[in-house]
Amino acid sequence: MLMINENDPSTLSTSGRLLSYNNAVKEGLKIGQQFTELMDQLINTKDPKELVAAAQTLSVFELDSDYVTFPHQYNNADYYLVFMSRLLELHDQGEAITLDSHEDNQHLTQQISALGDLGVFAFVSANDNTGGVYYQDKVTGETLFYLNLKRRMMRINSSAITKLFIETYADKLEKEHLLSATDLLIAFGQALKADFGFDVDFNLLDTSNNEFYAFQTSNLSGEIVDKLFVAAASENYMLKHDKDGAVLELAPDLKLKIASHNATGGAAWGLYVSDEDQTVSWFKVLLEYPFLRKWYLENIDDLQIRSDNLVF
Amino acid sequence: MPNNNEETNQEVTPGQAQLDSSLTQKIKYLQTLQSALHEHDDRQIYELIDKPRYDREVKKSRSTTKTQNLADLVANDHEQLSHYLSENLIDYLGKTYPFFYYDEVRNGEFDIYFGNWWDRRKFGKLDVLNVAFEFDETEYGKLKRSFELDALNQRYNTDNIAEISANSAQLQKLIDGQDERDHQKETLRQQLKEVSQKSTLPWDSGKVKEERQTIVDQLSKLADDDEEAINANKKIKENDEKILSLSKEDTILTYEKQSIQQRFEDFSHFESHNQSLYTDYLTSLIGKGQVNVDD
Repeated sequence: MLMINENDPSTLSTSGRLLSYNNAVKEGLKIGQQFTELMDQLINTKDPKELVAAAQTLSVFELDSDYVTFPHQYNNADYYLVFMSRLLELHDQGEAITLDSHEDNQHLTQQISALGDLGVFAFVSANDNTGGVYYQDKVTGETLFYLNLKRRMMRINSSAITKLFIETYADKLEKEHLLSATDLLIAFGQALKADFGFDVDFNLLDTSNNEFYAFQTSNLSGEIVDKLFVAAASENYMLKHDKDGAVLELAPDLKLKIASHNATGGAAWGLYVSDEDQTVSWFKVLLEYPFLRKWYLENIDDLQIRSDNLVF
Repeated sequence: MPNNNEETNQEVTPGQAQLDSSLTQKIKYLQTLQSALHEHDDRQIYELIDKPRYDREVKKSRSTTKTQNLADLVANDHEQLSHYLSENLIDYLGKTYPFFYYDEVRNGEFDIYFGNWWDRRKFGKLDVLNVAFEFDETEYGKLKRSFELDALNQRYNTDNIAEISANSAQLQKLIDGQDERDHQKETLRQQLKEVSQKSTLPWDSGKVKEERQTIVDQLSKLADDDEEAINANKKIKENDEKILSLSKEDTILTYEKQSIQQRFEDFSHFESHNQSLYTDYLTSLIGKGQVNVDD
């Protein structure tokens, strides 16, 4: 062990300085070595646990040290994109997205195949000190979901899903393409749930019958329901009186309920969508029924489905 | 010492005999009513609580024999009777009037709701003891009117909605005409300036004054329009709200109309059914009381 006072170079001999320099470079290279191992792991592993471990470490990795810096580097958030692509690949959905590397300024973007050229996605830091990131469309700035590997959570953003898939893309793309794009987000969330026990809020994409889609307003006006009543009637659907609000039978096995209580019985206004196979979400209903889409969008300030307000 | 010996009471005055017979009748009446209740013989209960009507409308008997009005004996029990009788009656009504729903607001007292759609109307009350609907006159009148308008292919509020929509269109025009008015005002102000600068020779002054006034009047008319345009958006919104509530009423009336058409074809059949409800219901009960007891 060399006893060197690094704060006072005058105390060092030349060989001492060289040793000190060399150690610092070694240290920097070791960090680089560690980085490439993590990259190998991120790119090649077939084990989901190793994949998430690599992504998590890389997302906060400081590659540069005082003596060794690397001119070509990706953003920390870019590793989330690799992670997402790889995880989908491990779940046989690799074809559904393409990862693009931009060599000029060294960053990654992702495109969802079903959307064609419409969306260019990347992760951006949520700056929440817990390593949270937003999955953002670079074209519109809309953030589709929030992801946090450390806290093992994913939150779908209802407002962005509505803006992009119900409004912006609606007249540019076929319904089945919109659905396969959102199915991809669901597949990603399901994989996070299944492989790592993530807590995932699918929000308006959730197809389960007991999912309560809570409206923005906690005090729904009768007038808004009246509007739906009249609009439904002109499409030959009858909005019926229900003990806890109103119910609309859209098909023999598809009911839309407006209720004044959530799934745990708390007072709140919102929707339930129920079908036997539990394959229909509020989002799918919006895509399928123009009069409901119109009603939802015209009263969006009150009806917007609530997203997790801690991250959106 | 009280005398209990019947022998000594042989002497019965006609008054006593009448009282005795009257009491016997009452006891018999109440006993019959009680056993009808035990046997769930609703028909008999109805007969007992309004014998004259029963004789007239169910038995179709023409005789108008005066019977003592014993039904008063149970006048205090109407609430309970009504509650009890409602069960079978509402069951029966469910088949004939599948679109009516009942809410027991107090013991034996029922509100009628028309339909199971959103914000269905409270349509009146069910008079269980008299087997009759007491429809809310206003609501009933609207429904009747919608049937009349049906022939003209119109809905109850068609004219009203058209009028309000026309008003909104007018207001929208006023909003859209703002640029045009601004332009006109500019021109008129210019003209006013020119007129003011004209030589004011005494013999011209009347004419100039007149010209000025015309321009001022035009400007003030435009200012009025401007002001109306400022409030127009608010008014259009109010109109939209009115139209919504009228459309909602039309939708409800359409559903009511369809319900009646599906069951009775037209309004007159519905009305005649309502009128013969007492006879129809009680006739349907004949023989039923006994059957239930056998169950």
